Amino acid sequence: MKVHDKMKVVHSICPQCSVGCGINLINIDNRLVGTYPYKRHPINEGKNCKKGRDCIELVFEENRPKNPLVNKNGTFSDYSWEEALDLFVSKIKSYTPQDIGIIGSGNSTNEDLEILSKFADALGVEKKGFYAENFPAFNIETATLDDVQSSNFILIVGDVIKESPLIGRRIILARENGAEVVSADSADKTFTGLNSDKYIKIRSIGEFLDNIGPEVHNKLKDSATIIFNKLDLKEEFEKIQNIAEDSGSKILPVLKQCNTRGAMRFLPALNQEEISRLINDVKFLYVVGDNPALYAEESFKNLDFLVTQSSSINETVLLSDLVFPASCWVEKTGTFTNTTGDMQKISKTISAPAEVLEDQRIISKIAEKIGIELGDKK
Amino acid sequence: MSPEYLLARAKNEELQDKGECGGAVSSIFKYLLDNEIVEGVLTLTRGIDIYDGIPSLIEDSEDIIETCGSLHCAPTMFGDLISKYLKDMKLAVAVKPCDAMAIKELEKRNQLDRDKLYEIGLNCGGTVMPITARKMIDLFYEVDPDDVVKEEIDKGKFIIELKDGTEKAVEIDELEEKGYGRRGSCQRCDLMIPRNADVACGNWGAEPGWTFIEINTEKGKDLVDAARNEGYLDIKTPSEKSLTIREKIENVMIKLAQKFQDKYLEEIYPSSEDWNKYWDRCIKCYACRDVCPVCYCKECALDKEFYVDSEQIPPDPLTFQGVRLSHMSFSCINCGQCQDVCPMEIPLALIYQRMQKKYKDKTGFIAGVNEELPPLYSPEKD
Repeated sequence: MKVHDKMKVVHSICPQCSVGCGINLINIDNRLVGTYPYKRHPINEGKNCKKGRDCIELVFEENRPKNPLVNKNGTFSDYSWEEALDLFVSKIKSYTPQDIGIIGSGNSTNEDLEILSKFADALGVEKKGFYAENFPAFNIETATLDDVQSSNFILIVGDVIKESPLIGRRIILARENGAEVVSADSADKTFTGLNSDKYIKIRSIGEFLDNIGPEVHNKLKDSATIIFNKLDLKEEFEKIQNIAEDSGSKILPVLKQCNTRGAMRFLPALNQEEISRLINDVKFLYVVGDNPALYAEESFKNLDFLVTQSSSINETVLLSDLVFPASCWVEKTGTFTNTTGDMQKISKTISAPAEVLEDQRIISKIAEKIGIELGDKK
Repeated sequence: MSPEYLLARAKNEELQDKGECGGAVSSIFKYLLDNEIVEGVLTLTRGIDIYDGIPSLIEDSEDIIETCGSLHCAPTMFGDLISKYLKDMKLAVAVKPCDAMAIKELEKRNQLDRDKLYEIGLNCGGTVMPITARKMIDLFYEVDPDDVVKEEIDKGKFIIELKDGTEKAVEIDELEEKGYGRRGSCQRCDLMIPRNADVACGNWGAEPGWTFIEINTEKGKDLVDAARNEGYLDIKTPSEKSLTIREKIENVMIKLAQKFQDKYLEEIYPSSEDWNKYWDRCIKCYACRDVCPVCYCKECALDKEFYVDSEQIPPDPLTFQGVRLSHMSFSCINCGQCQDVCPMEIPLALIYQRMQKKYKDKTGFIAGVNEELPPLYSPEKD
């Protein structure tokens, strides 16, 4: 059916965090001008947080690379794709796999990550991964949002209601149904604490987990969920898992990015220290969809050659020798796996600028030029 | 003008068959597009399933067939889509009473040009939130919501039709007693026939296969006459019995709505302690403000530095909700969108509708219906 270019309302998935809310986008002549509640979506029923409703601001018109760019002494010049790919290939071929690093992102689609991971394998690159804060990769069953809402007891670590309001909503609804909510964090008070029955100020997550008293532990036996959105150390994930197993409660780790959980299937989940070490240990770094200069800039100084593939001009792009212009989430089709493990489809809603390509296509072009096989895309 | 009543149906057999109640509304849209009287029709089309109504702008009359049939699980709002994105376009829009109310308030504030609009009103007994509908179909009908091909609201029942042609019905009273059924604002809404639109169309009192139309404006009268003269509509006069049945249905619905108003706005209205708890949840996301179809200022008082004491949440309820309430409550049309989109489940519509109702009871001013502006905007305010 033909719908007027003057206004189309289309379904999408919000890319701002790991909850996976539905959001309708208003498209007028290939530009996103606003959002509209997507009430049919089972996760959020038309409710979105401010950040979610602002998601269209992630589609940059100006502040994005629109052509491949090459940095010569601090000045970027436009290159053709042919020239840029040739440069990439000649550079990468001059390093051994041990000197090459590849960093992906929890903001990329599963399909883009799968092909990136195959690319790394084909090259024999082992220094690869994506930034997952202190969360380790996991492949266990976690609580659904309906589980949260029907819990009798909820233990929260972190300011989850404030930082993930559409999980917060399920906690609020559980509480309206009579659930008891206990939250813990390091601040004197938190928004989540204000909306809990009890707030515990803790010194560290590890210490708190080691000293959960019988009072809380007994409540965890009764249709309970443990929700946490931060860890100080990767090992704490297992501690929480053990507490949940002992008590029969469910757990819901709230990850950072819209596809952090999906990315765990394709690339090692690294924390800040591990990513910094990776960058330090390589000469050639290929960054796809992330901005590691934000959290690991110190480690960049040993690099010979930095290639960044991005849909916006960010700190890492500015440090790069070569930049590939990539499409953003509304300019491509694929899937995101949200923090509860649901895989959701996103569809191409607007066209990217002419020379901007999807991550998958860029990686395939590189592979083709190098002469490596990535195998059939699943 | 004095009301005029008639029964209408599409002359086009496909529209007559596929459209609701003989397809009169679809046929009016087709007439308007075919004759280039409007550039577009703003109405709902079905998205992924029957629980997914998507506002769509149709510009080709061939596509009108896609818009046939009613969708009750689509609590949408058209007013601000028009004022924000389509106000330069000559448009026909299918309006529920609350859509027409929003358009009326926007018109008073010069946010849209009413002369460019044909408002085709649809009688409305209320809408159901899509996910609520799916849950209640699973629970009360013991049916997989994906097996439902059609739903309708008739004679106090929510009726579903399954793939195999069978129908199942449950009393809306029963659903609503258990917290399902229509949205809260719809339960408390006492404007079912959109007399604030050019025409009001529906099945109440109509013979099977016909749409009952109440003509509300000269523009509406001319439109229906022209659509008949151009061969788009069959028209006949409704019987006395038709009129009586329609009036009776409307009165029953209004009484029910008043009962719900008494219950939710007075008897079990949240206490001030309850409100304090609700305000503690506010994440200051501005979703309530941004979705409000009447609220339109480009420079909002809530963004002004002197009101914003800090970025801390929850905000001070007096300088956040209080300011919004003082600006908007007299103009509240009870569309319930603010509450629908609140991530923190604050029952905002209750407080707004209650304020508007008190003002209405005292002064007779009904937001979205009366021609004048509410007091904050009125030149007559003291």
